[in-house]
Amino acid sequence: MPTKNHYAFVMDIARCIDCRACLVACSVENNVPMDHTRIWVHDQQVQGVWPNLTHTFVPYNCMHCDNPPCTEVCVSGATYKDDVSGLVLVDQEACIGCGYCMEACPYGVRYIDQKRGVVDKCNACVQRLGIGLDPACVATCVGKARLFGDLNDPNSEVSVALEKAKSVTTLDYEKDGTDTNPNIFFLNLPATGSILSSDAFGQVAQTSLPRDPHYTIAEEGWKKVAIPLMAVAMGATFLVQAFFFTKQLVEGEKEFEE
Amino acid sequence: MPKTELSGLSRLSRRNFLKLGAAAASAFAVGQFIPPPVARAARQSGVLDNNGSGYITTMCEMCVWRCGVHAKVVEGRVVKLEGNPDHPHSHGRLCARGQSGLMNTYDPDRVLTPLIREGKRGEGKFRQATWSEALDEVAEAMLKIKNTYGPEAMVFSSTHNLSQPLFENLLYGFGSPNYGTQRSLCFNAMIVANLITYGMEEPTRDYSQLKYLILTGRNLTEAISTSETTDLVDAIAGGAKVVYIDPRFTKTASKASEWLPIRPGTDLAFHLTLINVIIGEKLYNPSFVDQYTLGFEQVASAVKSYTPDWAATLTGLDANVIQRIAHEFAAAGQYALAHNGWRTSNFINSFPTERAITILNALVGNWGVTMLPSAGEGGGGLGSPPQPAYPRVSAQRLDGVPWMYPFVPLKIGVFQQLRDSIVAGQPYPAHGWLISRQNPVLSLPDRKKTLDAFNKMDFIVTMDILMNDTGWFSDVVLPEASYLERYDPLVPLGNQIFIRQPVIEPQGEAKSALWVYQELGTRLGLADFFQYKDEEDYLNQQLAPTGVSLSELRLHGSVKVASSGESNIFQWSTPSGKIELYSAALQKDKFDPIPVWQEPPLPKTGEFYLLTGKVGQHTQFGTQNNQLLHKYQDVPRLWMAEEAAQNLGLKDWDMVEVTSPVGSVKVALEVTSAIRSDCVYLTPGFGHLSMGLRTAYGVGASDSALHVTYTDPISGGQALSQTFVSVKKA
Repeated sequence: MPTKNHYAFVMDIARCIDCRACLVACSVENNVPMDHTRIWVHDQQVQGVWPNLTHTFVPYNCMHCDNPPCTEVCVSGATYKDDVSGLVLVDQEACIGCGYCMEACPYGVRYIDQKRGVVDKCNACVQRLGIGLDPACVATCVGKARLFGDLNDPNSEVSVALEKAKSVTTLDYEKDGTDTNPNIFFLNLPATGSILSSDAFGQVAQTSLPRDPHYTIAEEGWKKVAIPLMAVAMGATFLVQAFFFTKQLVEGEKEFEE
Repeated sequence: MPKTELSGLSRLSRRNFLKLGAAAASAFAVGQFIPPPVARAARQSGVLDNNGSGYITTMCEMCVWRCGVHAKVVEGRVVKLEGNPDHPHSHGRLCARGQSGLMNTYDPDRVLTPLIREGKRGEGKFRQATWSEALDEVAEAMLKIKNTYGPEAMVFSSTHNLSQPLFENLLYGFGSPNYGTQRSLCFNAMIVANLITYGMEEPTRDYSQLKYLILTGRNLTEAISTSETTDLVDAIAGGAKVVYIDPRFTKTASKASEWLPIRPGTDLAFHLTLINVIIGEKLYNPSFVDQYTLGFEQVASAVKSYTPDWAATLTGLDANVIQRIAHEFAAAGQYALAHNGWRTSNFINSFPTERAITILNALVGNWGVTMLPSAGEGGGGLGSPPQPAYPRVSAQRLDGVPWMYPFVPLKIGVFQQLRDSIVAGQPYPAHGWLISRQNPVLSLPDRKKTLDAFNKMDFIVTMDILMNDTGWFSDVVLPEASYLERYDPLVPLGNQIFIRQPVIEPQGEAKSALWVYQELGTRLGLADFFQYKDEEDYLNQQLAPTGVSLSELRLHGSVKVASSGESNIFQWSTPSGKIELYSAALQKDKFDPIPVWQEPPLPKTGEFYLLTGKVGQHTQFGTQNNQLLHKYQDVPRLWMAEEAAQNLGLKDWDMVEVTSPVGSVKVALEVTSAIRSDCVYLTPGFGHLSMGLRTAYGVGASDSALHVTYTDPISGGQALSQTFVSVKKA
């Protein structure tokens, strides 16, 4: 169903330097608990043979799909696709924290905020959009890798970026004949030595979403080392989802047609 | 999931921490429970509404780059920081550190009252004190040292911040020549080389027309200067070619067109060879060289033996590649830039390396295109409170400037030499140390020796917002207001003046440096050097000649002032007024007037080069306790190449013991293909000793505990990559 606005992210992989300003900005803007994150920069690990190495970083978050599987399964109606903005949002007043949407999301971008007992995820900083600001991650992106805007507006930054792009990758996920039609468009995702290389497929299952948890988190002001950030949220479904996600990564590359 | 035990220290529990001293612990914990009142100044200037909500324009201090900031305040609490689009250092963007800045201010470990040590140094037992009690004690100790041993027995150290002029009043007014900045641990080689060649500390880089860039260990996507990092990414997207030289495959390497994994310590050979090829094949800009440089003929004859084949043997790079890069660099002409870096690979030959880079730029005549005179801080028509002349100081400086290091500027100094002179008690013993916003316990090489120097002290006082490692070993700790809680003196940037102003009121008893230095100065009999009523009066006196009012500046965050007038950019402040490829000044002091090859030392069999370098989430030694940065940092581990790890029977995440001639640390291993097999790398800034840093304590290991002190005789720079280590399973 077409919406008045069609908000989308464009991520230019060539420009992402993995500085993580976006991650911190999002955490502050949205009061994300210390043991969760709403957005990621996926580290593809160093690839290649010395000294011809590559290292690619893929920023991502909720894909705000055209056909979101999460809304289908929500029993309370809390998760919905906004019919004005087209964003996938969670009404946390209505959310009962059952976690079905987390199971349904093929991208693993949702978590349960244990303190509040509700599901949380990227909302594209709707609170900022209302006052004319870009999402926090986009506004501060040091490499200008993250762009955001309305695809229904041909002059928006995202429309212009996609118009100019030679090829665009989306991470589609298909189930029962329905494509999610995600609204993150990746530019310059390298074809070789990256997650899109079929040779690297076996490795991808290990290193795909969620972000390899090589960072520490503060716990009550003290810490344990190397706690997997998403392990709690993803649980046993992780490997299965990673497999399907990866499969779609491989199959999902397509020319962007406008 | 890999399990790691970072060190025995990490087993210390929160309970043990609390046992360290109830008073101290409660002092750390007070801040978070007191809602700070709305910043009075901001409310007066009309940027906050009646509820204390709105945006306030100020400046970041998470590193020394000073981005412009819009701070969002809700009911008196700062809730979000945004880049100021009007500030040339941020263009509306902030890096991870800048975004996390409010967590520094709201760190539950903030020190919020003056503390006076009760137990032994390093035991962490302090009691809370009032400001008057603490400052009386500091002043009394300092005056006792002055009266007994002379003012030079008191050492002062602080680094590159906006209240530095007042800090200098304190030390020069007191009569001590002993001034420690941290710059010799960072980029002395670059600064002194630029002063010799161009007569300025650091020319500005301009990426707008850039076509070809050589980055020598300048890891711009991880050692971030926001606007310059954005400029680099823009330039690459626009098609500029970037050659990146580093023994490590950093994130910058991953963005570069070409990465050259050079052998540490041989950057000089690479650059000398580029010079030789460009001169030998007549690829330089002859009219620029002729008109604006001095000593071309001497350089041409001095570099003749530096052929690509010669450099290939030393650097481990391909001779054809070196030659091709020389051709490409010269072909890009004035649109080429050899970035002078903030540091090269940090060997004792870093100074001639930096000199060679300055010469390379001059050969293609990029001045005014990709290299510009630095905008400069200072002047701008600002006034200052009246003050008397400093007393005459006759004592030698303990850091050897200028008597050992004639080319090092007094404002920069040689910090590691200062420490060594304290340990040696030569040429005279020091007895007291005042440290502001600095952490020499972690920053200086050879940590054990730094603690030895502390042991020689009758009295140590540290000012900081946190109980940093230096405060932990001090006698008195003074709580400073954070950068979001205070005014700082104004410094012009080009033809603009930006303000750092309080976004919230200081928490607890924290006070601005302007206040602390004045109160201490007054107690030391130096009131004449601090002639202002309060912070705002200081700024008003600065603004008086400009006709701009403080309230106007507070409201807008910046004002334009008359620029100092267009000067001829093709006139340099060198003795000859030209770009000095050959330096008669160096020759006069019996140093090589032209950069020539100097062989760096080699590791013995079984040893590795210990490399240093930044990560994008931290600044030096002061941000590791920030919980937001902690959340998104990588676990700091020791990088080692797959091949080397295999030879030693080591696996990813193994705990290893790293040993150098001066120390040993335990740290987890990161087996990677992103480093030469003769090198290991450790992120600096971790391995904190202070248990007052409850987030950072126990994480990672300190490279300062391993670094051997090697000082470049010309620039005074510490050769941070010249330490060799052995690694074994812990």
